[in-house]
Amino acid sequence: MAVRGCGARTAAISGEAPWTRVVLHVDMDAFFASVEVLDDPKLSGRAVIVGGSGARGVVASCTYEARAYGVRSAMPSLQAKRLCPEAIFVDGRYSRYAEVSGRLHEIFASVTPLVEPIGLDEAFLDVTGAQNLLGRPELMAGEIRRQVIESLRLDCSVGIGRTKLIAKLASRAAKPRASIRGKEPGAGVVTVGPDEEAAFLRPLPVEALWGVGPATAARLHALGLTTVGDLADVPSSALVHQLGSSPGRRLSELAHGIDRDPVVPGRQAKSIGHEETFPSDVTDRSTLERHAVRMAESVAIQLRASSVRARTVTVKVKSPDLAVVTRSHTLGGGIDTAHSLASVAVALLESVDIGAGVRLLGVAAGGLRDRRAGEQLQFIGVLPTSRGADGDPGGGGGGGGAGSAGGDTAGPGPVDVGAVWERVGSLQEDRREISAAVDSIRERFGAEAVGTAAMVDEGGIVVPRRRGAAWGPADEAS
Amino acid sequence: MKFRAERDSLVEVLTTAGRAVGGRGVSNAVLSGLLLHCEGNHLVVTGTDLDLTIRVEHEVIGIEDGSCVVPARLTADIARSLEPGAVTVEGGDEEIEIAAARSRFSLRAYPVVEYPSVTIAEGASLVLPGAMVAEGLRQVVRAASTDDNRPLLTGVLLTEHEGAIRLVATDSYRLALRDLATEGGLVGGHDILVPARALGELQRLTSGGGVGAGAGQEAGTTGEDKGQSAMDVTVSAGDNEITFTRGRVKISTRLLDGTYPDYRQLIPDHYPNRLHLGKESFVSALRRVRLLVRDNTTPVRLSMRAGGVDLSVVSQEVGDASETVDGDFTGEDLVIAFNPSYLIDGVEAVVGDEVVIETAEPAKPATVRASEEDNFRYLLMPVRVS
Repeated sequence: MAVRGCGARTAAISGEAPWTRVVLHVDMDAFFASVEVLDDPKLSGRAVIVGGSGARGVVASCTYEARAYGVRSAMPSLQAKRLCPEAIFVDGRYSRYAEVSGRLHEIFASVTPLVEPIGLDEAFLDVTGAQNLLGRPELMAGEIRRQVIESLRLDCSVGIGRTKLIAKLASRAAKPRASIRGKEPGAGVVTVGPDEEAAFLRPLPVEALWGVGPATAARLHALGLTTVGDLADVPSSALVHQLGSSPGRRLSELAHGIDRDPVVPGRQAKSIGHEETFPSDVTDRSTLERHAVRMAESVAIQLRASSVRARTVTVKVKSPDLAVVTRSHTLGGGIDTAHSLASVAVALLESVDIGAGVRLLGVAAGGLRDRRAGEQLQFIGVLPTSRGADGDPGGGGGGGGAGSAGGDTAGPGPVDVGAVWERVGSLQEDRREISAAVDSIRERFGAEAVGTAAMVDEGGIVVPRRRGAAWGPADEAS
Repeated sequence: MKFRAERDSLVEVLTTAGRAVGGRGVSNAVLSGLLLHCEGNHLVVTGTDLDLTIRVEHEVIGIEDGSCVVPARLTADIARSLEPGAVTVEGGDEEIEIAAARSRFSLRAYPVVEYPSVTIAEGASLVLPGAMVAEGLRQVVRAASTDDNRPLLTGVLLTEHEGAIRLVATDSYRLALRDLATEGGLVGGHDILVPARALGELQRLTSGGGVGAGAGQEAGTTGEDKGQSAMDVTVSAGDNEITFTRGRVKISTRLLDGTYPDYRQLIPDHYPNRLHLGKESFVSALRRVRLLVRDNTTPVRLSMRAGGVDLSVVSQEVGDASETVDGDFTGEDLVIAFNPSYLIDGVEAVVGDEVVIETAEPAKPATVRASEEDNFRYLLMPVRVS
């Protein structure tokens, strides 16, 4: 018991109930926008919006000065411009944010190895054990903030709670506020002890809980349930009846502050993807395929950088009326080369009707596995669709995969993506060596040094950067 | 329609035919039913999902001729739960009544006219000993793909090879082939591609797991010395379908359309390395080390050397296991890794006490076969480990 003195003291401060677990949630304040201000002091004190400035752009991040005008993340840029005409739009620089994020994670690692990163700018830290070494959670939170401010010259907010949910909601309560004078400092660190949980949770809107999106919220509102307290007061069977057994039970538990979700260190991304909204709708299939090949290249680079291979490829197509169609296919083995990804993506696109035009295209790789895991090999040359057995996947870049995918004889109607895999699988080997060579060229001479034909633009080779245009393109003219 | 039957045989007939009935996702409600047709003392029960049809004949005490379509699963469940003894089934287009002892069920029936007419190829074209069919299917069917994206690979190829009928299946990771020595060839002499699902049903039927060849069925799977007995399988091929008849059960399936890949290209003509092992000890060892495999990418490594093979499984989450099996090895020492389940499938399929593993290189296909018989081969692609 003596060893756990620090934990016991924390419990004593917060009340009688013991801290079975202590979770910190660290969240950077206006991360992307703050990095931009840091790098360009002229932006200091201004309403800065990071995101796509074009007609279809969205706000990725904005300073508190912009928030004072009602600008929020994920808001269409046009709306943000209306709310705050003087806002300065800045293109996102994902690699720079990733660099800062890397240093942020070094700070986390100095506290505990139990860090679960969420995106670039937030993380959960399980510090239950670290208390023995580093003292009370408030001390650790304060130390993390001090280091972030001193070494990164950025701000963050920290929430402390017994569960991930409480910690996350606490960090939100610790955030600065936006006012007409700009940023008003928040508490910086907020602790919600076990005995304070009910009082803290009850007044919050139901939307504060995980899993309550607009649809669920609307159903709950229709039942007169608007706050977490309302949810906690109805029997869990009533929520089960309304929402189904698993979501209903989970929501009831969350409303009572019960959240068993552990902090999973280094939780691997479930998927890696790239999507872009086009400046104007793409109506031509070969153009769309060229974009798919280009995006596949970007995804493949990230797969290899993360030492994973993907088994599932998904394409997402948004039409001008905002209807979204996704198609995915799971392969017999893992892939990490642009060519393989592109072949499958292009074959998947064949089954999508693009008659109305395409506003947004996304290519994502899922079913990620460590590439050091074994890889089941396949017979080479067993092609269920015998026509074009010699294939033309060597066409590589441009529409190469596109033409060949249409040549299937089996499978009436939908494209036989499996057949594509047959070809892909047999080519993996050569492509892997090419990809490794491309990777090392890029490492030495930069990303623009080498690329497939699909990546060549008027200005040379354009490598789609991670999240490069995810927030919407600039207008074509600009 | 009205008849009386003994409970156990009725259950058997209903469940056997019911195996062709699709699951919950049937497009047409009537397909979730079984067609019962009674004429004299002869009851015929048909189940189908339009691709696969199973028809069972059975002798009953006929009371009134006629037909009805009953919900397959429910009727079988009811029959199974009844007291032992006689069951009376009476029904028409709207209703069916099942009565036994003091139980009485009245169920809604499907209209008989809505039941699809199914084509069942008739006429004996080839008769095969049941035991041989059972063995061949056991060796081959499991290598077929279950991935509907590769429709051709979900079939088993029946082709003529040097006077025998050769069964071939592959899911692109492994390939199994078996030659069945027979006197007659395939109808028309051309290759046919039979869905593995239908052959799985035939396998179940011929391996005699108690599923109905009707009266006269023995317990074992041996059909020896019976001439053309109830144990034999009669194959009747039509243009688009094939029917296998064994005793009172007919399994009919639509054939797959398309040209099967040229599997012969995959079979290496020469292997530099050869390992002879006792089948039982090898399978047991593989089963033991497989206990540590928690996902299908953890392979078993085989380190082959003079005197035998060392097996090892290393699982990052769980731990590791190793095992040595003595045997005779000729060739160059080699380490090669396989999906343990695929390897076990192949070794188990071998008939006899000894198994031979032939290899070339760590990334080239290996072959599993018996040391004596040459009628079965199992090709297996390794797992690449770095």
